[in-house]
Amino acid sequence: MIETLGYFATSWVDPYLLGLTALGTLAGIYVGAIPGLSVTMAASILISFTFKWEVNAALALIAGVYVGGVYGGARTAILLNIPGAPSAIATALDGYPLAQKGQAGEAIALSTVMSVMGGLLGVLALALAAPLIAQFAIKFTSREYMLLGIIGILLVGTLSGESFAKGAFAGALGVMIGMVGLDPMTAETRFTYGSINLMGGVPFVVAMIGFFGVAEALVQLEHVAATPVKQAVSRIVPAWADVRRYLALALKSSGLGTLIGALPGTGGDIAALLAYDQAKRSTRDPEVPFGEGAKEGLIAPEAANNAAVGGAFVPMLTLGIPGDAVTAIIIGALYIHGLKPGPLLLSDTPHLFWFIVGNLTLANLFLLVFGLTGIRVFTKVVECPRAILIPLIVVLSAVGAYAIQNNPVHITWALGFGVAGYLLKRYGFQVGPIILGVILGPMIDSNYRRAMIAAQQDVGRFLYDLVSHPISAVLSAALLAMLISQLPVIRNRRRR
Amino acid sequence: MPSPAPLRPGERLFALLLVLFAGFAFHQSHAISGFEGLTTGGVMPMLASGVMVVTALVILSDTLRRPQAETRGLRGLVAYLFPLRVVLFAALVAAYGAAIPLLGFLVASGGLLFVAIWMLWTRGPLVALVLALASVGAIHVLFRMVFKVVLPGGSLWS
Repeated sequence: MIETLGYFATSWVDPYLLGLTALGTLAGIYVGAIPGLSVTMAASILISFTFKWEVNAALALIAGVYVGGVYGGARTAILLNIPGAPSAIATALDGYPLAQKGQAGEAIALSTVMSVMGGLLGVLALALAAPLIAQFAIKFTSREYMLLGIIGILLVGTLSGESFAKGAFAGALGVMIGMVGLDPMTAETRFTYGSINLMGGVPFVVAMIGFFGVAEALVQLEHVAATPVKQAVSRIVPAWADVRRYLALALKSSGLGTLIGALPGTGGDIAALLAYDQAKRSTRDPEVPFGEGAKEGLIAPEAANNAAVGGAFVPMLTLGIPGDAVTAIIIGALYIHGLKPGPLLLSDTPHLFWFIVGNLTLANLFLLVFGLTGIRVFTKVVECPRAILIPLIVVLSAVGAYAIQNNPVHITWALGFGVAGYLLKRYGFQVGPIILGVILGPMIDSNYRRAMIAAQQDVGRFLYDLVSHPISAVLSAALLAMLISQLPVIRNRRRR
Repeated sequence: MPSPAPLRPGERLFALLLVLFAGFAFHQSHAISGFEGLTTGGVMPMLASGVMVVTALVILSDTLRRPQAETRGLRGLVAYLFPLRVVLFAALVAAYGAAIPLLGFLVASGGLLFVAIWMLWTRGPLVALVLALASVGAIHVLFRMVFKVVLPGGSLWS
């Protein structure tokens, strides 16, 4: 117990880690708030610089950015009606009307307090649920890992894009990119075409920077001429009567957010939208109608999206499946530091698990401090024109792609992935499944082959194994249900 | 039942190109080890590219069912996918990628930032120059001095 507390408090007592967490949270608020910059993009670029750091320091910075970024999107949603991040889309629905009524300060204060509350509840759920799930997941064999990998990619593809086919295509494309290089089992070359650079494979960070950073910069060019909207904010004071009044709603939304966040493939955006919908249905007589400045419509998504952060860490740390795009990147960070997220992470490296729990708690407390201060500076920074941001994103992406292996070729690759990502995004494809495919593809490949060898290369026996072992059977059923739910007949019926 | 969303300009052509690309990927995957066994290095690439082929065909068939885009033809495609600003910026980025080995990272980045900010933000070359220099200075301090990243040098200087 004392040992656990020691791990938990690591970043609280070490001034360096404390400073990095504070810096990450503050930077995350700005990254999340500035339209055009995303937490995913920032986390992917950060990994390329922090991979040589000690793992705790890297995680402290990235986790701070994550927590701050999810919250930061709300500020521009409230002030400018421009959600800085997808998780703040629901926040804008009632946050901006509140700002138009001259209650911007109050709305920001309320969203800050409720975000912190949601964030802390999400972390509590992580601390309580993860060890239990890990104890169960330790029984997983290569079959289950293979199924989990496929489910993870498909879930992201199902939930984040405009059609299942596009999500599945993107995921499979990612797996293909992940296959480039030497086969780890036989040292056979795959898609290398005689290039020495390709033999080492495509580092997923390079793909991530290209698909998220460069592609986003190209997409943002369309909005480059948009004039920044200005909003005046006098002071930020939380109305404690409101905090008390909406406490029950915040707790309910946090619970929902944690659950949604824990589902692989979902994230703060879906959690916030569902919590908003839930609040709208369950609030009988709001003081102000939803959509016109109802505080319930502000509190529910804000509590839920920050709670989803803790929830997203649960499948990542226990099963090795990311809860959302940012945890997909954090998985990559852990791999880079020689750690393997999954059931064994908690038993082999409990210090790391409790460090993450303690660090997320700390980041939420910093969120409270930074969320209630510095608003005047903030309003100036978010007015930064895209004409400056876009070239800067490209340069940061280039240096990030280079730094991972000090290889200039990777800059070209990242720029190439950026152009491909731009084309795909313009036609409604999501790039999240591609990155998951790059990360999880090699894991699926090696586990498939182990499972097939265990089945003595007999397809019938392999398929029988998938349904005859309890855990495999549940996962196979989940995979099958997911595929069936995407059949046109079922989808049309659901729409009706 | 709601009517399906109209196609984006060039979406059908893009879907067709995806089918061709997926087919090529499958062919290349098959070339790794063919159908020699169930645990060879080519199996997973074949499965992945097989999924790509099937889903690309589904995407293509979907585009055949949906109504045409409002702005059709080459003009619509260019306006949607390759507006002049994107083409120029992409060309600039490509030139930047080519210039890094010659000029080094900082000089090439400074050049990209100057031209791009000048091009995108109509505040004149002086403002763009100041911003580019300040940004490159900040990048040097942050990445070279703080993160200890050895930024690529240029062959023309060394």
